[in-house]
Amino acid sequence: MKNIVIGRYIPGNSFLYSLDPRTKILALLILMIGVFVIDHIMHMVYAIAIIFLVLLLGKISIKRIYLGLRPLLFLLIFTFTFQIIFNRHGELLFEETLYYSPVSIALAAAIGIFWFFTKRFIKFRLLYFLMTLLAIGTVLSLTLFPGTFATGRFAVYEEGLFMALFIMLRLIIIVTLSTMLTMTTKPTDLNLGLEQILAPLKILRINAEEIAMIISISLRYIPTLLDEANKIMLAQASRGVDFEEGKMKEKVVQIVSLLVPMFIISFKRSDDLANAMEARSFAPGRPRTRLHVLTWKRLDSCVLALSFLLLVTAILSRVLL
Amino acid sequence: MAIKFERVSFQYTSMDNKGYLALADINLSINKTGEFITLIGETGSGKSTLAQHMNALLQPTEGRVHIFGITVDDKTKKQRKIKLNPIRKQVGLVFQFPEYQLFEETVEKDIMFGPKNFGVSTEEAAKRAEKMIEVVGLDASYLKRSPFNLSGGEKKRVSIAGILAMEPDILILDEPTSGLDPIGRNALLDVFYNIHTELDKTVIIITHDMNTVYEYAKRVMVMREGVLVYDGDPVALFSKSNIDRWNLDVPDILGLTRDLEAKFDYKFTEPPRSRKALFKALEGMLK
Amino acid sequence: MHPMIEMTGVSFYYTKEISALKNVDLTINKGEWITILGHNGSGKSTLSKLLVGLLKAKTGTIKVDGITLNEETVQDIRRKIGIVFQNPDNQFVGVTVRDDIAFGLENIQIEREEMLRRIDVFSKKVDMFDFLNKEPSQLSGGQKQRAAIAGILAMETDVIIFDEATAMLDPKGRRKILEYMRELNREGTTIITITHEMKEAVESDRIIVLKNGEILKEGSSQSILKDKETLEKSNLELLLPLEMLYHLESNKIENEKLKQYLWQSSLNA
Repeated sequence: MKNIVIGRYIPGNSFLYSLDPRTKILALLILMIGVFVIDHIMHMVYAIAIIFLVLLLGKISIKRIYLGLRPLLFLLIFTFTFQIIFNRHGELLFEETLYYSPVSIALAAAIGIFWFFTKRFIKFRLLYFLMTLLAIGTVLSLTLFPGTFATGRFAVYEEGLFMALFIMLRLIIIVTLSTMLTMTTKPTDLNLGLEQILAPLKILRINAEEIAMIISISLRYIPTLLDEANKIMLAQASRGVDFEEGKMKEKVVQIVSLLVPMFIISFKRSDDLANAMEARSFAPGRPRTRLHVLTWKRLDSCVLALSFLLLVTAILSRVLL
Repeated sequence: MAIKFERVSFQYTSMDNKGYLALADINLSINKTGEFITLIGETGSGKSTLAQHMNALLQPTEGRVHIFGITVDDKTKKQRKIKLNPIRKQVGLVFQFPEYQLFEETVEKDIMFGPKNFGVSTEEAAKRAEKMIEVVGLDASYLKRSPFNLSGGEKKRVSIAGILAMEPDILILDEPTSGLDPIGRNALLDVFYNIHTELDKTVIIITHDMNTVYEYAKRVMVMREGVLVYDGDPVALFSKSNIDRWNLDVPDILGLTRDLEAKFDYKFTEPPRSRKALFKALEGMLK
Repeated sequence: MHPMIEMTGVSFYYTKEISALKNVDLTINKGEWITILGHNGSGKSTLSKLLVGLLKAKTGTIKVDGITLNEETVQDIRRKIGIVFQNPDNQFVGVTVRDDIAFGLENIQIEREEMLRRIDVFSKKVDMFDFLNKEPSQLSGGQKQRAAIAGILAMETDVIIFDEATAMLDPKGRRKILEYMRELNREGTTIITITHEMKEAVESDRIIVLKNGEILKEGSSQSILKDKETLEKSNLELLLPLEMLYHLESNKIENEKLKQYLWQSSLNA
């Protein structure tokens, strides 16, 4: 829980922190559209360079962003590999014949198993993994071993490589932009910004104020619920529920013994809270004054304008180049 | 020695990585039978944390806890060699809020839940449920009712019955009388005292109420900011210096007894520990 | 000059079998401190909800400050009565103490400047000024209740009901809340305490004892506090000095000095 960077607010001091949450939400949307408009790998590289610049100016630790991307590493590698292997367009860049024989396959498997058992001792896991892949590839490409019963072909094409990089970069940009938003904006401010942005939806009979209040109350209760879940588990453990062990059937009982009290407590809480809110003159639908106000500054207009500019640039580069 | 704490400390780390020492260098021993202990301290003093170490729900970050021959330290959980679950059958802990525990469709099923988790047969568990519902002061008609439709006091009794049905050797109750009206409070305390005397079980009650301490306890442990500052005789606890030092509330009976001795020169040969005893003694002196 | 609260012939039941209140007549005057004593299930918790229209009485009328409670007037009446409920976690709406105090003020459309002023003043009154930025998960039960009181005070109601507000607190927390009740009543706020703790009833002007939804007895706190029969019928205990007093009197032991002392000491409980 402590290492999850995605979605967490981390206090700091830079222009990103001073921006109105509305600006950040709108800028995020605009830039996301821009990222999807881009269709050339070089433009994507420019885009990531710009993001890098913003991170530096915004005094956001690159390390934190990297940590936030780590959980996605698997997805990134998967898409990368997928493109490399299956995309056969463009110039052939590299070709290698693979010789499958009992010995080579056994060796490749042995390397794989070795990796599996030793990876926990290695510090730079990604590098180790890539080295392992390289080793496997090398083994399979050698003609040394007798008994070859089949051959394969490992080929990397120009477009495959570009597409792989392109999609990977795009994914990184999207996650980084979202992380920048949540890292520099307190959940309550985000909620307030969202409420004001969604306000026009009144035409569609969607009440942004109500939604914002629901979100606000949910945010307030998250720590309370986590704490209660913990206490309930302890209380049930006291009665012999072993949350660590158990087959499927037992796991179901364990979950029920946790969820039922949580639901019951939540229902009682909803009742009490609704009463308390109404007793304090809360009347849904009636306009309310606000303690927190958002102030739009010149910086906000600049950032928003710049975002638009970037979007337009992306569109033009796609259309004209 | 059923439970023994050897230099036990517990460092608590919260979600936002802030830690504090909930227990600091605790040393104590508790017998398997014959003890009636009250554990007192302000909110946040570590009483509940201490109790949760007694049935291995929590493991110390330093030091060792010995429970019925099993030793628990900071590595026990990771090593996975020792199963901690059986301890909870021998040391029963009733939490303060019955809402954390009640979840079955009927009161009967809920009381049977604990024993069944420890391998008790359905028939035997049902028999125990029938017995325990009466021990806690409710009649058998409650067994078929839903636990969620009961009043606060009734829920409390059902949750206690659920732990009693496991037939633990040591019974720990975390603020069992909070939220109950005065008569309900006294009735429940009598139940615990009876369990203690009739079955010779060790009973530990965590409470805020000094009157409970004074009237029922044979031994009192005082927690203050994670430290066990007093472990001994309840009457001796309430010396003037201790009261000042730890900002203790004076039990009503003791306060009145002392005032009467000071202002009216009455001499109580033995300090009365209950209202009845007090009235009787005074009556004797005045007549 | 009309009473602050008037309940006439009020009954309420959840279902036909579970009757909460039966034919209750109650009058509370401005500036009084009333304690409603009763066992768990005596109907005392239904009372506060009826007074602010969270529950609708099945029979009878309720008048607050001369205004009869009905669908049209309920909002006005909620401006006059504030309730501090029992569970500190289930009435804390805001993400921080400041936001929670502001919640009520936002509801009644107080201007932002005035909101800031009231938050400042009333958080100080309950010694929560230093906690304004804290979240509820960082507060103890007693602190959350104090924040709740600040929120009600900020709404500047005429009446404050403490509906078993100390039941989930430790003795230290309880005493603190009692202090605030005392101070507020001294300043002229009408206080209604709903409880089963005798020590909280001692300082009030009048006590109403409920049993099974009906008023068993009502009277000055002095008279009710030593009424052993009535109190025991409602599962309540006498304060120790008063039980001793009762014991002496029933055994016909004469000792004026002792009796005086016992009486005095109950008031200092």
